[in-house]
Amino acid sequence: MKDKPKLLTVLDGVTLVTFLAATAMVFFYAPTERVMGAVQKVFYFHVAAGWVGMVSFFVAAVVGVIYLIKKSPNMDLIGIAAVEIGIIFTLINIVTGAIWARPIWNAWWTWDPRLTTATIMELVYIAYLMLRQGIDDPERRARFGAVYAIVGFLSVPLTFFSIRIFRTIHPVVIGGSDPSAVGAFDMTPKMFQTLMFSIVVFSILFIDLIWHRVRLGKFQNYLEELKIKLQV
Amino acid sequence: MKSKTSFFKALSAVVWKDLVAELRGKEMLSAMMVFALLVIFIFNFALELDPKTRNALTAGIIWVTLTFSGTLGLNRSMAVEKDRGCLDGLLLAPVDRTAIYFGKSIANWVFMLITAAILLPVYSILYNTNLFSWGLVLVILLGSEGYVAVGTLLSSMSIQARTRDILLPILLFPVIIPVLIAAVKATGGFLAGETFSSLTTWIYLLIGYDVIFTSVAFMVFDAVVEE
Amino acid sequence: MEETLNTINYALAGFVVIFGSILGYIASLFIRFNNLKKDEEILSDQD
Repeated sequence: MKDKPKLLTVLDGVTLVTFLAATAMVFFYAPTERVMGAVQKVFYFHVAAGWVGMVSFFVAAVVGVIYLIKKSPNMDLIGIAAVEIGIIFTLINIVTGAIWARPIWNAWWTWDPRLTTATIMELVYIAYLMLRQGIDDPERRARFGAVYAIVGFLSVPLTFFSIRIFRTIHPVVIGGSDPSAVGAFDMTPKMFQTLMFSIVVFSILFIDLIWHRVRLGKFQNYLEELKIKLQV
Repeated sequence: MKSKTSFFKALSAVVWKDLVAELRGKEMLSAMMVFALLVIFIFNFALELDPKTRNALTAGIIWVTLTFSGTLGLNRSMAVEKDRGCLDGLLLAPVDRTAIYFGKSIANWVFMLITAAILLPVYSILYNTNLFSWGLVLVILLGSEGYVAVGTLLSSMSIQARTRDILLPILLFPVIIPVLIAAVKATGGFLAGETFSSLTTWIYLLIGYDVIFTSVAFMVFDAVVEE
Repeated sequence: MEETLNTINYALAGFVVIFGSILGYIASLFIRFNNLKKDEEILSDQD
Protein backbone atom coordinates (compact mmCIF):
# COMPACT_ATOMS: atom_id res chain seq x y z
CA MET A 1 0.00 0.00 0.00
CA LYS A 2 1.07 3.53 -0.68
CA ASP A 3 2.85 5.39 2.06
CA LYS A 4 1.02 7.60 4.47
CA PRO A 5 0.54 11.05 2.93
CA LYS A 6 2.46 13.82 4.67
CA LEU A 7 -0.65 15.91 5.10
CA LEU A 8 -2.27 13.10 7.07
CA THR A 9 0.70 12.93 9.44
CA VAL A 10 0.42 16.67 9.95
CA LEU A 11 -3.30 16.30 10.57
CA ASP A 12 -2.65 13.57 13.12
CA GLY A 13 -0.34 15.92 14.99
CA VAL A 14 -2.78 18.83 14.83
CA THR A 15 -5.58 16.55 16.06
CA LEU A 16 -3.56 15.30 19.00
CA VAL A 17 -2.37 18.76 20.08
CA THR A 18 -5.76 20.44 19.76
CA PHE A 19 -7.46 17.54 21.48
CA LEU A 20 -5.12 17.84 24.45
CA ALA A 21 -5.69 21.59 24.43
CA ALA A 22 -9.45 21.09 24.47
CA THR A 23 -9.16 18.64 27.35
CA ALA A 24 -7.05 21.11 29.27
CA MET A 25 -9.57 23.86 28.55
CA VAL A 26 -12.41 21.71 29.83
CA PHE A 27 -10.61 20.97 33.07
CA PHE A 28 -8.73 24.17 33.82
CA TYR A 29 -10.17 27.04 31.75
CA ALA A 30 -13.91 26.50 31.99
CA PRO A 31 -15.26 27.25 35.47
CA THR A 32 -16.96 24.48 37.43
CA GLU A 33 -20.69 24.92 37.31
CA ARG A 34 -22.12 25.94 40.67
CA VAL A 35 -24.99 23.50 41.06
CA MET A 36 -24.02 20.42 39.10
CA GLY A 37 -20.34 20.34 39.95
CA ALA A 38 -17.76 18.29 38.11
CA VAL A 39 -20.12 16.20 36.00
CA GLN A 40 -21.07 19.30 34.02
CA LYS A 41 -17.59 19.16 32.43
CA VAL A 42 -18.73 16.13 30.48
CA PHE A 43 -21.15 18.45 28.69
CA TYR A 44 -18.54 19.95 26.31
CA PHE A 45 -17.49 16.66 24.77
CA HIS A 46 -21.05 15.35 25.04
CA VAL A 47 -22.28 18.07 22.71
CA ALA A 48 -19.21 17.83 20.47
CA ALA A 49 -19.64 14.06 20.11
CA GLY A 50 -23.33 14.50 19.30
CA TRP A 51 -22.39 17.05 16.65
CA VAL A 52 -19.85 14.71 15.06
CA GLY A 53 -22.41 11.88 15.12
CA MET A 54 -24.98 13.96 13.24
CA VAL A 55 -22.38 15.24 10.75
CA SER A 56 -21.15 11.69 10.09
CA PHE A 57 -24.59 10.38 9.28
CA PHE A 58 -25.30 13.42 7.14
CA VAL A 59 -22.06 12.81 5.24
CA ALA A 60 -23.03 9.13 4.82
CA ALA A 61 -26.39 10.13 3.32
CA VAL A 62 -24.82 12.71 0.99
CA VAL A 63 -22.14 10.36 -0.32
CA GLY A 64 -24.91 7.76 -0.64
CA VAL A 65 -26.71 10.03 -3.07
CA ILE A 66 -23.48 10.74 -4.95
CA TYR A 67 -22.70 7.03 -5.09
CA LEU A 68 -26.07 6.20 -6.60
CA ILE A 69 -25.52 8.82 -9.30
CA LYS A 70 -21.84 8.32 -10.09
CA LYS A 71 -21.18 4.77 -8.86
CA SER A 72 -17.67 5.67 -7.72
CA PRO A 73 -16.27 3.17 -5.17
CA ASN A 74 -14.56 5.96 -3.23
CA MET A 75 -17.94 7.34 -2.21
CA ASP A 76 -18.82 4.00 -0.70
CA LEU A 77 -15.58 3.99 1.30
CA ILE A 78 -16.41 7.42 2.70
CA GLY A 79 -19.93 6.22 3.46
CA ILE A 80 -18.93 3.21 5.54
CA ALA A 81 -16.20 5.24 7.24
CA ALA A 82 -18.65 7.97 8.20
CA VAL A 83 -21.20 5.50 9.53
CA GLU A 84 -18.65 3.67 11.68
CA ILE A 85 -17.36 6.90 13.17
CA GLY A 86 -20.89 8.20 13.61
CA ILE A 87 -21.83 5.11 15.59
CA ILE A 88 -18.85 5.55 17.92
CA PHE A 89 -19.54 9.22 18.57
CA THR A 90 -23.28 8.81 18.95
CA LEU A 91 -22.55 6.10 21.49
CA ILE A 92 -20.28 8.51 23.37
CA ASN A 93 -23.05 11.09 23.20
CA ILE A 94 -25.72 8.74 24.57
CA VAL A 95 -23.60 7.18 27.32
CA THR A 96 -22.18 10.48 28.59
CA GLY A 97 -25.72 11.86 28.51
CA ALA A 98 -26.87 9.00 30.71
CA ILE A 99 -23.96 9.51 33.09
CA TRP A 100 -24.81 13.19 33.34
CA ALA A 101 -28.52 12.46 33.79
CA ARG A 102 -28.05 10.07 36.71
CA PRO A 103 -27.09 12.72 39.29
CA ILE A 104 -29.02 15.60 37.69
CA TRP A 105 -32.32 14.00 36.61
CA ASN A 106 -31.98 11.17 39.09
CA ALA A 107 -32.33 8.55 36.36
CA TRP A 108 -29.98 7.04 33.81
CA TRP A 109 -32.61 7.16 31.17
CA THR A 110 -35.63 9.28 30.37
CA TRP A 111 -37.88 9.07 27.33
CA ASP A 112 -36.82 12.50 26.24
CA PRO A 113 -37.12 13.23 22.49
CA ARG A 114 -33.45 13.90 21.84
CA LEU A 115 -32.23 10.97 23.87
CA THR A 116 -34.74 8.63 22.26
CA THR A 117 -34.07 9.92 18.76
CA ALA A 118 -30.31 9.60 19.22
CA THR A 119 -30.72 6.00 20.31
CA ILE A 120 -33.07 5.12 17.46
CA MET A 121 -30.56 6.75 15.11
CA GLU A 122 -27.84 4.54 16.58
CA LEU A 123 -30.02 1.49 15.92
CA VAL A 124 -30.59 2.58 12.31
CA TYR A 125 -26.87 2.62 11.65
CA ILE A 126 -26.20 -0.62 13.49
CA ALA A 127 -28.81 -2.09 11.12
CA TYR A 128 -26.81 -0.50 8.28
CA LEU A 129 -23.71 -2.43 9.33
CA MET A 130 -25.73 -5.66 9.60
CA LEU A 131 -27.14 -5.12 6.12
CA ARG A 132 -23.67 -4.70 4.68
CA GLN A 133 -22.38 -7.73 6.51
CA GLY A 134 -25.04 -9.90 4.91
CA ILE A 135 -24.08 -9.07 1.33
CA ASP A 136 -21.00 -10.52 -0.33
CA ASP A 137 -20.96 -8.77 -3.70
CA PRO A 138 -19.10 -5.48 -3.06
CA GLU A 139 -20.93 -3.53 -5.73
CA ARG A 140 -24.34 -4.55 -4.42
CA ARG A 141 -23.20 -3.96 -0.85
CA ALA A 142 -22.26 -0.41 -1.74
CA ARG A 143 -25.57 0.21 -3.51
CA PHE A 144 -27.70 -1.13 -0.68
CA GLY A 145 -25.61 0.72 1.86
CA ALA A 146 -26.18 3.98 -0.01
CA VAL A 147 -29.94 3.38 -0.21
CA TYR A 148 -30.23 2.56 3.47
CA ALA A 149 -28.05 5.49 4.52
CA ILE A 150 -30.40 7.82 2.63
CA VAL A 151 -33.64 6.31 3.95
CA GLY A 152 -32.25 6.04 7.47
CA PHE A 153 -31.02 9.61 7.63
CA LEU A 154 -34.37 10.82 6.34
CA SER A 155 -36.27 9.08 9.08
CA VAL A 156 -34.21 10.61 11.89
CA PRO A 157 -35.77 14.10 11.82
CA LEU A 158 -39.22 12.56 11.34
CA THR A 159 -38.71 10.46 14.45
CA PHE A 160 -37.63 13.55 16.29
CA PHE A 161 -40.73 15.52 15.25
CA SER A 162 -43.00 12.66 16.22
CA ILE A 163 -41.52 12.32 19.66
CA ARG A 164 -41.09 16.06 20.11
CA ILE A 165 -44.81 16.54 20.27
CA PHE A 166 -44.60 15.06 23.73
CA ARG A 167 -43.10 17.43 26.25
CA THR A 168 -39.35 17.55 26.47
CA ILE A 169 -37.28 17.88 29.62
CA HIS A 170 -33.94 18.09 27.85
CA PRO A 171 -32.20 21.34 28.78
CA VAL A 172 -31.82 23.52 25.72
CA VAL A 173 -28.54 25.24 26.46
CA ILE A 174 -27.96 26.94 23.13
CA GLY A 175 -30.76 29.29 22.13
CA GLY A 176 -32.50 28.27 25.35
CA SER A 177 -36.27 28.20 25.32
CA ASP A 178 -37.41 26.70 28.59
CA PRO A 179 -35.50 27.93 31.67
CA SER A 180 -37.46 25.61 33.95
CA ALA A 181 -35.91 22.46 32.48
CA VAL A 182 -33.92 20.65 35.15
CA GLY A 183 -30.21 20.87 34.48
CA ALA A 184 -30.35 24.03 32.41
CA PHE A 185 -27.65 26.54 33.18
CA ASP A 186 -26.35 29.86 31.94
CA MET A 187 -23.11 29.52 30.08
CA THR A 188 -20.41 31.95 31.04
CA PRO A 189 -18.25 33.25 28.17
CA LYS A 190 -15.46 30.87 29.20
CA MET A 191 -17.83 27.93 29.07
CA PHE A 192 -19.07 29.01 25.67
CA GLN A 193 -15.53 29.35 24.31
CA THR A 194 -14.66 25.90 25.64
CA LEU A 195 -17.75 24.40 24.02
CA MET A 196 -17.03 25.99 20.64
CA PHE A 197 -13.41 24.92 20.76
CA SER A 198 -14.43 21.36 21.66
CA ILE A 199 -16.77 21.23 18.67
CA VAL A 200 -14.03 22.47 16.35
CA VAL A 201 -11.55 19.94 17.79
CA PHE A 202 -14.00 17.06 17.44
CA SER A 203 -14.62 18.10 13.84
CA ILE A 204 -10.88 17.92 13.17
CA LEU A 205 -10.78 14.54 14.88
CA PHE A 206 -13.65 13.44 12.65
CA ILE A 207 -11.81 14.40 9.47
CA ASP A 208 -8.65 12.69 10.70
CA LEU A 209 -10.48 9.46 11.60
CA ILE A 210 -12.46 9.36 8.37
CA TRP A 211 -9.28 9.78 6.37
CA HIS A 212 -7.65 6.86 8.17
CA ARG A 213 -10.75 4.71 7.76
CA VAL A 214 -10.96 5.48 4.03
CA ARG A 215 -7.33 4.47 3.63
CA LEU A 216 -8.08 1.23 5.45
CA GLY A 217 -11.02 0.63 3.10
CA LYS A 218 -8.84 1.25 0.05
CA PHE A 219 -6.27 -1.18 1.37
CA GLN A 220 -9.02 -3.76 1.90
CA ASN A 221 -10.33 -3.35 -1.64
CA TYR A 222 -6.84 -3.56 -3.06
CA LEU A 223 -6.23 -6.86 -1.27
CA GLU A 224 -9.60 -8.22 -2.41
CA GLU A 225 -8.61 -7.53 -6.01
CA LEU A 226 -5.22 -9.07 -5.43
CA LYS A 227 -6.84 -12.23 -4.06
CA ILE A 228 -9.12 -12.52 -7.08
CA LYS A 229 -6.17 -12.03 -9.42
CA LEU A 230 -4.21 -14.77 -7.67
CA GLN A 231 -7.09 -17.20 -7.82
CA VAL A 232 -7.52 -16.79 -11.57
CA MET B 1 -49.03 8.75 -24.15
CA LYS B 2 -47.95 5.23 -24.97
CA SER B 3 -45.43 4.97 -22.17
CA LYS B 4 -48.03 6.04 -19.63
CA THR B 5 -50.50 3.31 -20.55
CA SER B 6 -47.77 0.71 -20.47
CA PHE B 7 -46.75 1.92 -17.00
CA PHE B 8 -50.24 1.36 -15.64
CA LYS B 9 -50.55 -1.90 -17.52
CA ALA B 10 -47.32 -3.14 -15.97
CA LEU B 11 -48.36 -1.90 -12.56
CA SER B 12 -51.75 -3.58 -12.62
CA ALA B 13 -50.16 -6.74 -14.02
CA VAL B 14 -47.81 -6.93 -11.03
CA VAL B 15 -50.64 -6.28 -8.58
CA TRP B 16 -52.92 -8.85 -10.22
CA LYS B 17 -50.20 -11.44 -10.37
CA ASP B 18 -49.65 -11.14 -6.62
CA LEU B 19 -53.32 -11.09 -5.70
CA VAL B 20 -54.26 -14.02 -7.94
CA ALA B 21 -51.29 -16.10 -6.75
CA GLU B 22 -52.27 -15.36 -3.17
CA LEU B 23 -55.94 -16.19 -3.75
CA ARG B 24 -54.90 -19.54 -5.17
CA GLY B 25 -52.51 -20.47 -2.37
CA LYS B 26 -53.62 -18.25 0.53
CA GLU B 27 -50.31 -19.12 2.20
CA MET B 28 -49.31 -15.63 3.13
CA LEU B 29 -52.68 -14.26 4.19
CA SER B 30 -53.47 -17.26 6.35
CA ALA B 31 -50.04 -17.04 7.99
CA MET B 32 -50.45 -13.30 8.63
CA MET B 33 -53.93 -13.87 10.02
CA VAL B 34 -53.04 -16.73 12.36
CA PHE B 35 -49.98 -14.84 13.48
CA ALA B 36 -52.01 -11.71 14.21
CA LEU B 37 -54.51 -13.71 16.27
CA LEU B 38 -51.72 -15.34 18.23
CA VAL B 39 -50.17 -11.98 19.01
CA ILE B 40 -53.49 -10.73 20.40
CA PHE B 41 -53.81 -13.83 22.57
CA ILE B 42 -50.29 -13.46 23.85
CA PHE B 43 -50.96 -9.81 24.65
CA ASN B 44 -54.12 -10.78 26.47
CA PHE B 45 -52.27 -12.97 28.93
CA ALA B 46 -49.02 -11.05 29.03
CA LEU B 47 -50.72 -7.76 29.88
CA GLU B 48 -53.84 -9.08 31.65
CA LEU B 49 -56.15 -6.99 29.56
CA ASP B 50 -58.95 -6.13 31.93
CA PRO B 51 -61.34 -3.49 30.58
CA LYS B 52 -59.65 -0.58 32.34
CA THR B 53 -56.11 -1.05 31.10
CA ARG B 54 -57.31 -2.33 27.75
CA ASN B 55 -58.78 0.94 26.55
CA ALA B 56 -55.44 2.67 26.91
CA LEU B 57 -53.55 -0.14 25.23
CA THR B 58 -55.80 -1.08 22.30
CA ALA B 59 -54.19 1.32 19.83
CA GLY B 60 -50.73 0.04 20.65
CA ILE B 61 -51.78 -3.60 20.44
CA ILE B 62 -53.42 -3.11 17.06
CA TRP B 63 -50.32 -1.49 15.59
CA VAL B 64 -47.83 -3.90 17.10
CA THR B 65 -49.88 -6.77 15.72
CA LEU B 66 -50.12 -5.18 12.28
CA THR B 67 -46.42 -4.33 12.26
CA PHE B 68 -45.30 -7.84 13.13
CA SER B 69 -47.67 -9.65 10.80
CA GLY B 70 -46.72 -7.06 8.17
CA THR B 71 -43.07 -8.10 8.25
CA LEU B 72 -44.19 -11.68 7.83
CA GLY B 73 -46.09 -10.71 4.69
CA LEU B 74 -43.34 -8.49 3.28
CA ASN B 75 -40.70 -11.17 3.75
CA ARG B 76 -42.92 -13.77 2.17
CA SER B 77 -43.98 -11.72 -0.82
CA MET B 78 -40.39 -10.92 -1.77
CA ALA B 79 -39.03 -14.38 -0.93
CA VAL B 80 -41.53 -15.92 -3.33
CA GLU B 81 -40.34 -13.66 -6.13
CA LYS B 82 -36.71 -14.39 -5.38
CA ASP B 83 -36.98 -18.15 -4.95
CA ARG B 84 -39.04 -18.80 -8.04
CA GLY B 85 -36.82 -16.52 -10.05
CA CYS B 86 -39.78 -14.25 -10.74
CA LEU B 87 -37.88 -11.17 -9.70
CA ASP B 88 -35.30 -11.68 -12.44
CA GLY B 89 -38.10 -12.30 -14.92
CA LEU B 90 -39.84 -9.13 -13.84
CA LEU B 91 -36.65 -7.13 -14.10
CA LEU B 92 -35.87 -8.49 -17.54
CA ALA B 93 -39.32 -7.48 -18.74
CA PRO B 94 -39.20 -4.21 -20.66
CA VAL B 95 -41.23 -2.25 -18.14
CA ASP B 96 -40.53 0.69 -15.92
CA ARG B 97 -38.87 -0.49 -12.70
CA THR B 98 -41.00 1.88 -10.67
CA ALA B 99 -44.08 0.08 -11.97
CA ILE B 100 -42.71 -3.03 -10.28
CA TYR B 101 -42.13 -1.09 -7.06
CA PHE B 102 -45.61 0.38 -6.99
CA GLY B 103 -47.15 -2.93 -8.02
CA LYS B 104 -45.48 -4.80 -5.18
CA SER B 105 -46.29 -2.01 -2.73
CA ILE B 106 -49.95 -1.96 -3.65
CA ALA B 107 -50.19 -5.75 -3.37
CA ASN B 108 -48.50 -5.65 0.05
CA TRP B 109 -50.78 -2.81 1.07
CA VAL B 110 -53.85 -4.83 0.10
CA PHE B 111 -52.63 -7.80 2.13
CA MET B 112 -52.07 -5.61 5.16
CA LEU B 113 -55.49 -4.04 4.81
CA ILE B 114 -57.12 -7.46 4.52
CA THR B 115 -55.34 -8.52 7.70
CA ALA B 116 -56.53 -5.36 9.44
CA ALA B 117 -60.06 -5.82 8.12
CA ILE B 118 -60.23 -9.23 9.77
CA LEU B 119 -58.18 -8.38 12.85
CA LEU B 120 -60.29 -5.43 13.97
CA PRO B 121 -63.71 -7.17 13.96
CA VAL B 122 -62.17 -10.17 15.71
CA TYR B 123 -60.70 -7.88 18.33
CA SER B 124 -64.11 -6.23 18.73
CA ILE B 125 -65.77 -9.59 19.25
CA LEU B 126 -63.14 -10.88 21.65
CA TYR B 127 -63.40 -7.84 23.88
CA ASN B 128 -67.00 -6.98 23.20
CA THR B 129 -66.32 -3.43 22.07
CA ASN B 130 -66.99 -1.59 18.86
CA LEU B 131 -63.78 -0.33 17.32
CA PHE B 132 -65.21 0.79 14.04
CA SER B 133 -65.07 4.43 13.04
CA TRP B 134 -64.28 6.10 9.75
CA GLY B 135 -61.42 7.92 11.38
CA LEU B 136 -59.84 4.61 12.33
CA VAL B 137 -60.23 3.34 8.78
CA LEU B 138 -58.43 6.42 7.51
CA VAL B 139 -55.59 6.00 10.02
CA ILE B 140 -55.13 2.36 9.09
CA LEU B 141 -55.10 3.22 5.38
CA LEU B 142 -52.50 5.93 5.89
CA GLY B 143 -50.39 4.12 8.47
CA SER B 144 -50.12 0.90 6.52
CA GLU B 145 -49.34 2.83 3.33
CA GLY B 146 -46.29 4.39 4.95
CA TYR B 147 -45.35 1.01 6.35
CA VAL B 148 -45.45 -0.85 3.04
CA ALA B 149 -43.80 2.04 1.16
CA VAL B 150 -40.64 1.60 3.22
CA GLY B 151 -41.20 -2.10 3.82
CA THR B 152 -41.35 -3.01 0.14
CA LEU B 153 -38.12 -1.16 -0.56
CA LEU B 154 -36.26 -2.63 2.39
CA SER B 155 -37.57 -6.16 1.91
CA SER B 156 -36.33 -6.15 -1.67
CA MET B 157 -32.88 -5.40 -0.21
CA SER B 158 -32.99 -7.74 2.79
CA ILE B 159 -34.11 -10.64 0.62
CA GLN B 160 -30.86 -10.45 -1.32
CA ALA B 161 -28.74 -10.68 1.84
CA ARG B 162 -27.48 -13.84 3.51
CA THR B 163 -29.37 -13.17 6.74
CA ARG B 164 -32.55 -12.34 4.93
CA ASP B 165 -35.36 -13.38 7.27
CA ILE B 166 -33.98 -11.78 10.40
CA LEU B 167 -32.73 -8.69 8.60
CA LEU B 168 -36.03 -7.12 7.54
CA PRO B 169 -37.41 -6.18 11.00
CA ILE B 170 -33.99 -4.85 12.03
CA LEU B 171 -33.82 -2.63 8.96
CA LEU B 172 -37.47 -1.65 8.93
CA PHE B 173 -38.46 -0.96 12.55
CA PRO B 174 -36.08 1.88 13.43
CA VAL B 175 -36.91 3.66 10.17
CA ILE B 176 -40.66 3.26 10.46
CA ILE B 177 -40.96 4.51 14.06
CA PRO B 178 -42.24 8.00 13.12
CA VAL B 179 -45.12 6.48 11.15
CA LEU B 180 -45.96 4.11 13.99
CA ILE B 181 -45.97 6.89 16.60
CA ALA B 182 -48.34 9.01 14.55
CA ALA B 183 -50.55 6.02 13.73
CA VAL B 184 -50.78 4.85 17.36
CA LYS B 185 -51.55 8.36 18.58
CA ALA B 186 -54.25 8.92 15.97
CA THR B 187 -55.75 5.47 16.54
CA GLY B 188 -55.79 6.03 20.29
CA GLY B 189 -57.51 9.37 19.78
CA PHE B 190 -60.25 7.95 17.57
CA LEU B 191 -60.81 5.02 19.94
CA ALA B 192 -61.18 7.43 22.83
CA GLY B 193 -63.92 9.16 20.85
CA GLU B 194 -62.02 12.36 20.10
CA THR B 195 -63.20 14.42 17.18
CA PHE B 196 -61.50 14.46 13.83
CA SER B 197 -60.50 18.10 14.18
CA SER B 198 -58.58 17.46 17.40
CA LEU B 199 -56.50 14.78 15.71
CA THR B 200 -55.63 16.59 12.50
CA THR B 201 -52.02 17.10 13.63
CA TRP B 202 -51.40 13.36 13.64
CA ILE B 203 -53.34 12.81 10.42
CA TYR B 204 -51.33 15.49 8.63
CA LEU B 205 -48.13 14.04 10.01
CA LEU B 206 -49.14 10.61 8.69
CA ILE B 207 -49.92 12.05 5.27
CA GLY B 208 -46.61 13.91 5.28
CA TYR B 209 -44.63 10.80 6.23
CA ASP B 210 -46.45 8.76 3.59
CA VAL B 211 -45.59 11.28 0.90
CA ILE B 212 -41.94 11.54 1.98
CA PHE B 213 -41.34 7.82 2.38
CA THR B 214 -43.19 6.83 -0.79
CA SER B 215 -41.39 9.35 -2.96
CA VAL B 216 -37.95 8.54 -1.59
CA ALA B 217 -38.49 4.79 -1.81
CA PHE B 218 -39.69 5.21 -5.37
CA MET B 219 -36.65 7.29 -6.29
CA VAL B 220 -34.09 4.84 -4.90
CA PHE B 221 -35.83 1.59 -5.86
CA ASP B 222 -34.06 1.55 -9.22
CA ALA B 223 -30.75 1.29 -7.40
CA VAL B 224 -31.93 -1.71 -5.40
CA VAL B 225 -33.01 -3.89 -8.30
CA GLU B 226 -30.49 -3.01 -10.99
CA GLU B 227 -28.05 -5.75 -11.89
CA MET C 1 -28.55 28.86 47.06
CA GLU C 2 -28.27 25.20 46.18
CA GLU C 3 -25.14 23.38 47.21
CA THR C 4 -22.76 22.13 44.57
CA LEU C 5 -23.32 18.43 44.02
CA ASN C 6 -20.35 16.13 44.43
CA THR C 7 -20.33 14.50 41.03
CA ILE C 8 -16.63 13.73 40.61
CA ASN C 9 -17.27 10.01 40.14
CA TYR C 10 -19.79 10.62 37.39
CA ALA C 11 -17.45 13.05 35.67
CA LEU C 12 -14.68 10.49 35.86
CA ALA C 13 -16.90 7.78 34.37
CA GLY C 14 -17.91 10.17 31.61
CA PHE C 15 -14.36 10.93 30.57
CA VAL C 16 -13.40 7.27 30.75
CA VAL C 17 -16.20 6.57 28.26
CA ILE C 18 -15.15 9.43 25.97
CA PHE C 19 -11.42 8.67 25.87
CA GLY C 20 -11.97 4.92 26.02
CA SER C 21 -14.29 4.89 23.01
CA ILE C 22 -12.09 7.12 20.87
CA LEU C 23 -8.90 5.24 21.75
CA GLY C 24 -10.73 1.94 21.27
CA TYR C 25 -11.75 2.96 17.76
CA ILE C 26 -8.23 4.09 16.91
CA ALA C 27 -6.93 0.76 18.22
CA SER C 28 -9.43 -1.11 16.05
CA LEU C 29 -8.20 0.82 13.01
CA PHE C 30 -4.64 -0.12 13.91
CA ILE C 31 -5.43 -3.80 14.37
CA ARG C 32 -7.37 -4.00 11.14
CA PHE C 33 -4.56 -2.27 9.28
CA ASN C 34 -1.95 -4.66 10.67
CA ASN C 35 -4.08 -7.68 9.81
CA LEU C 36 -4.36 -6.43 6.26
CA LYS C 37 -0.59 -5.98 6.11
CA LYS C 38 -0.11 -9.58 7.18
CA ASP C 39 -2.58 -10.68 4.51
CA GLU C 40 -0.65 -8.67 1.97
CA GLU C 41 2.59 -10.41 2.90
CA ILE C 42 0.99 -13.83 2.58
CA LEU C 43 -0.48 -12.89 -0.77
CA SER C 44 2.80 -11.53 -2.10
CA ASP C 45 4.54 -14.74 -1.01
CA GLN C 46 2.14 -16.73 -3.15
CA ASP C 47 3.11 -14.82 -6.21
